[in-house]
Amino acid sequence: MKHRPTTASSPRPEAAALSRNCEPRSASSLPRLLAVAFVLLGSAACSSRGEDAAFPSRPIEIVSWATPGGPSDLLSRALADAAPPHFGGQRVTVMTRQGGAGAAGMQYMQGRAGDPHVLGVFTASGTVNMATGRIPFAPEDFTPILRIQIDPFLVAVRDDSPFRTLGDLFEAAHARPGEVSVSGFGAASAHFLGFARLRAAAEDPDIRWIAYEGSADAVVAALGGHTDAAHTNYNVVREHLRAGTMRVLGTAMPVEALPDTPSYADQGYDLQPVHWRGVVGPPGLDPGTRSDIRTRLMAAIDDPGFQEYMERAALEFATMEDADAFGAWMAEEVTTSRDLLRRLGFLDG
Amino acid sequence: MTAFLDGLLTALQPGNLAALLAGSLLGVFAGAMPGLSSTVGLALVLPVTFALDPTPALLMMVSIYMAAEYGGSITAIAIGVPGSSPALATTFDGYAMTRRGEAGRALGISLFSSMSGGLLGTILLVLALGPLSRAAIAFGPAEYFGLGVFGLSIVANLVGRDPLKGIISALLGLVFFLVGLDVLTGAPRLTLGTNMLMDGLGLVPMLIGFFAIAEALKAAAGGRKATAPGAGITGALPKARELFGLWRTILRGSAIGGVIGAIPGAGATIASIVAWNEERRVSKDRERFGTGVPAGIAAPEAANNSCVGAAMIPLLALGIPGSASAAVLLGGLTVQGVAPGPLLMAERAELVYALYAGFLVAVLLMLAVGRLGIPLWTRVVRLRPSILMPLVVAISLVGVFALRGNAADAWVALFFGVVGFAMLRAGYPLAPAVLGLILGPMIETNYRRALTLSSGSHTIFLESPIGLVLLALAVVSFAAPAIRNRLVSGKRQAKEQE
Repeated sequence: MKHRPTTASSPRPEAAALSRNCEPRSASSLPRLLAVAFVLLGSAACSSRGEDAAFPSRPIEIVSWATPGGPSDLLSRALADAAPPHFGGQRVTVMTRQGGAGAAGMQYMQGRAGDPHVLGVFTASGTVNMATGRIPFAPEDFTPILRIQIDPFLVAVRDDSPFRTLGDLFEAAHARPGEVSVSGFGAASAHFLGFARLRAAAEDPDIRWIAYEGSADAVVAALGGHTDAAHTNYNVVREHLRAGTMRVLGTAMPVEALPDTPSYADQGYDLQPVHWRGVVGPPGLDPGTRSDIRTRLMAAIDDPGFQEYMERAALEFATMEDADAFGAWMAEEVTTSRDLLRRLGFLDG
Repeated sequence: MTAFLDGLLTALQPGNLAALLAGSLLGVFAGAMPGLSSTVGLALVLPVTFALDPTPALLMMVSIYMAAEYGGSITAIAIGVPGSSPALATTFDGYAMTRRGEAGRALGISLFSSMSGGLLGTILLVLALGPLSRAAIAFGPAEYFGLGVFGLSIVANLVGRDPLKGIISALLGLVFFLVGLDVLTGAPRLTLGTNMLMDGLGLVPMLIGFFAIAEALKAAAGGRKATAPGAGITGALPKARELFGLWRTILRGSAIGGVIGAIPGAGATIASIVAWNEERRVSKDRERFGTGVPAGIAAPEAANNSCVGAAMIPLLALGIPGSASAAVLLGGLTVQGVAPGPLLMAERAELVYALYAGFLVAVLLMLAVGRLGIPLWTRVVRLRPSILMPLVVAISLVGVFALRGNAADAWVALFFGVVGFAMLRAGYPLAPAVLGLILGPMIETNYRRALTLSSGSHTIFLESPIGLVLLALAVVSFAAPAIRNRLVSGKRQAKEQE
């Protein structure tokens, strides 16, 4: 399941082409003065327009709008740690811009349109917030560059729970409508929609979704017996699974470390909701620059240090074939989330 | 015991000791800077810990966490602005003592109580990791609701002379908390159509606005006299006998901090306010609380430092961060490949013991760093308000921006500054509003969560023994001042009749 990203070995033809465009043209038929002026103009244009020719010319900023120490913030920091050798030795710093469910950091990126030296970590929560209108941006307001990882969703119960499979949970919910509860992160959130998709595949039994401020809080609720199950990510409950204090009813996708746990699909629910994180740039990066950054990031995430971080945080690499596919994926996530939220009555229309 | 001594030897290795010392210095600084907190201090060193081995990384982080809880009291005592939210209750008596000219005494009491609380919290962590972690998960929606209501009942003791104004202030705090996304439905409330209010009005901007900006406005309007007119400020430290005489207070404060700190999401701010209130309740001279009583400083400071050890209980035993700072710590551990949870003690015992020992060393370093800083702080207090207050406001606004890198937070702080100034002018106490903002979310969210779980039946609150006890305590705490007044005046009447 786990695939290491392949590092594209090709040099950067687009960067070379750009620098060629900026060669001052010969001006033999014009007076000398004019020629000099031309050269000056040409080089001025070169330094302003053709910044990517010498990319990266300045330190790189990774804008983080997530909770400090949380999974998205950690991805930003792991990238900042692995990236410098692949960005011409430039410093890579994480810049915190929190607020407005991420809108503050995204706004900051809008102000840096066309600047390849600023990147941001975008997640499934971002597309859901776009769908609900909580943040006033659309996927087009960013330049998608590289989806990096998937944080597997799963449904877990306390070890003494009567449920052994997802079927048990949904059967109980059908038999006793409104009495079975599942705790998870947020209302109308990526976690909520992940579970809502699964529930829809089980003919929509009346299960109470108990929203918590964080994934860990939702696990505490299940551990304390306050809710019947928790919908969370593998790494949040990993230690409880190893210790046997919790069990998994099903995982959204096969998890390497849980070979005996059937996925949703194995149990007849044919869907694979994913919780992903990736890197986007500000709007208006040209395709050449974009694929340059993508290539450098691919090399960075191939670094042993980054691989170790992925392993320790129990995350799966999920780079898509190219940046366009990632962009299409983001747009589709917004649309499907919006449709589902409408159907569930969270959005009008 | 040998395991613990091994841990101590590990913590005392030069590299680890350097990490602990660096953490103490940074922690005191982050705690004392209004706007910055232990969480920000920890987030700042997170990239640094990437480059360190697990043990020094972990030790540096715990010593920041510990030292920041004391650091918060420095500004609370010296200038009346809580350096971080858990020092809120310390302003009540600490700043009052400074205004009497006894800044050195107040800082000394705070430092000694913080150290004692830190030690007791660590002992609790070592001895009660298992049982307290099980108690922590017993807290469900009904129990959190009870805790929130109990916390809010303390308003009755914070209202000052005019109870009505105090209650209005608390209600105002409850209105402020409503701003933002509703946790249970994800719908925006009172956000005035701007997504910058989506995350709600933060506690830190409110503290900065109320205690730094409003006070500065008051000073500008001529309402703030130079600290300690005539008498001058003495840096004189408290006598050892006075410090050791506070042992009962410190034990009570630490116990309250230890229990509340272990409950995920409750936290040091609530613990220190509860500790201050309980101390006032059991004290013989409760009427003098808020006017600069040593116990009024010792109780909250012991509580918030005891919370540090206690917050590690759910983190280490369950892998669940109990506070924002613990969440950053968890991130740091994850990166280091240390996975806290039920198996940590069995698999990484050497690291856990190094952590325990690190806590003890961190507490002692905090004492040393704090002691060396006291003469400096007492000098700050001597600055004239016309110089001090603009400085405080400038530093606070930088701090509130640094917290999340969000300029809107500075505007929110200014808004609270104006609101706070108006409230002070009209004689409304500010602390109840802060309490409303802190406890409103805990009360409302858990009330609705409980009713969702019970399909709308209120019996869920009666079925929870812990919740019932907390609600009963709330009634007692809320009604106690009124009943006591009735009794006192009754006695007086009886005497007069004789």
